[in-house]
Amino acid sequence: MHHVVLDRWSRRTSPLHRRDARAKILAALALLVSIATTDAGVLPMLAAYGAIVAAGFLAARLPLFQAATRAGVVLPFSIAMALVSWVSGDPARAASVVVKSYLSASIVLLLIATTPLTELLSGAEKLGAPRVVTLVVQFLYRYLFVISEQVQHMLQAARCRSGSGNSGTRRRFQAAAGALAVLFSKSYIRAEGIHNAMLARGFRGRLPAIRTQRFEWADFGFLLAALIAAAATGLALRGAA
Amino acid sequence: MHIPDGFLSTPVWLTMNAISVPAVGVLARRAHSQLDDSRIPLLGVMGAFVFAAQMINFPVGAGTSGHLVGGALLACTLGPAAATVVMTAILAVQALVFQDGGVLSLGANVLNMAVLGVLAGYLPYHFWGAGRLRKFSFFAGGVLSVLVSAALTLSQLLISGIPMRTGVLAISAGLFLISALLEGLITVAVMGALEKLNPNWIHKPMSDGRLGMGLLASAAVLLAVVGVVVASAAPDGLESLAEQIGLADKATVLFSTPLADYEANFLNSDWLRKAAAGMAGLMLIFGVCILCGRMISRRGSA
Repeated sequence: MHHVVLDRWSRRTSPLHRRDARAKILAALALLVSIATTDAGVLPMLAAYGAIVAAGFLAARLPLFQAATRAGVVLPFSIAMALVSWVSGDPARAASVVVKSYLSASIVLLLIATTPLTELLSGAEKLGAPRVVTLVVQFLYRYLFVISEQVQHMLQAARCRSGSGNSGTRRRFQAAAGALAVLFSKSYIRAEGIHNAMLARGFRGRLPAIRTQRFEWADFGFLLAALIAAAATGLALRGAA
Repeated sequence: MHIPDGFLSTPVWLTMNAISVPAVGVLARRAHSQLDDSRIPLLGVMGAFVFAAQMINFPVGAGTSGHLVGGALLACTLGPAAATVVMTAILAVQALVFQDGGVLSLGANVLNMAVLGVLAGYLPYHFWGAGRLRKFSFFAGGVLSVLVSAALTLSQLLISGIPMRTGVLAISAGLFLISALLEGLITVAVMGALEKLNPNWIHKPMSDGRLGMGLLASAAVLLAVVGVVVASAAPDGLESLAEQIGLADKATVLFSTPLADYEANFLNSDWLRKAAAGMAGLMLIFGVCILCGRMISRRGSA
């Protein structure tokens, strides 16, 4: 599955994986802003920013081709929207929207594929994100797979009872609502259990970091290089256009 | 309907982030002060629940099915501030891990779905939740939350200069209306089932079912929704109206006399007009929601 591969990628080691999460977040934001504010042709954009992203994936020792296909998950939506603008008579805009969204998605992919989510969130927290939100994101990500599996079990059980058989739409709608309510109650009770277990293990409102992060000179250098690359590419493309 | 990066023009995503970052900050602090630490795992697990709940299909008939979006459901169970935090977390995970929605446009998505969508979904329940219209308030909340989110998304795309033919616009508006009604039906069915399981899981409404205020507030939100889309789709409409009345000549004179050519051109620029019209509409919705939030919080502290 998508996220499992990403999780594995983010736990590898490479010069890029070792960088502080804050440096990587700021670098990614700089590149995203550079892409968002630049309106050059499709090919120059793809070549310039594509080269930066590709260099990033190579430095992180991640499979380039797999990453390129993975970033393609944005394409269905972008292409649909692009078709809308094409039909409305703006093909240039349509192409630029597809390219920009694809490049932006690959930069986010590079960030998440080189930074474990816990580090990313603690980096975001140090940059000023509210702790309630980062904590909730962490719990959400942790229990996403647990609860998804529970849904699969419930759906399978319903199929075994032929619950989705040939009853009317209204009945099946009611059954789905009941299933959702049961899932809600199971999640609610699970959350109470989780909190008790956490208290038993000494939780004091903050999740422990697995690896302490320190902003080193290398991180500073990396951030500076990324900022220069983002600014230079944006300016160069603007000059060429 | 999560907007990816690359769709919104720079002023639009900048503004949206500038609005939604402090809004989420305030609501997060509110949620934190209302809940003790034991509720934080609950919020995370509820986010996972909404994610997973989207795998359960609700048959609509004619072989199609829809799924829960969850804004109104979360608001009526956890309370609006906590629901905003949960929806923000969901959008963040979708943007980061699943590349569903952009990072720069996260502010816009959060504002549409997590802040204004949730607040609009809570609005009917706030006014009618304790009275005879309790069931209807769940339905109305589901409908309003999806309508507000969809209308804001659409208008942000339009303001950003993504061209859409009137036909396309009408089709998407129709689809949004259908999914809004479906969300209303799902919300009311699930809330009914939840109430039977354990009434304690449902957030207590603050008011005693005042019909008039609720109607007024819902109507204001609906009106603002329609206004935003119309304003961002056809900012020239207002102008043509003015022309018909004969205001236009006077207005141009009024505008161009005190200003040099440069400024007049600036004012005439198509983009600026669109942006201004859209922003005005957005501010209207935001103002309505802020006012309702004020009322809710005042009632809460009283």
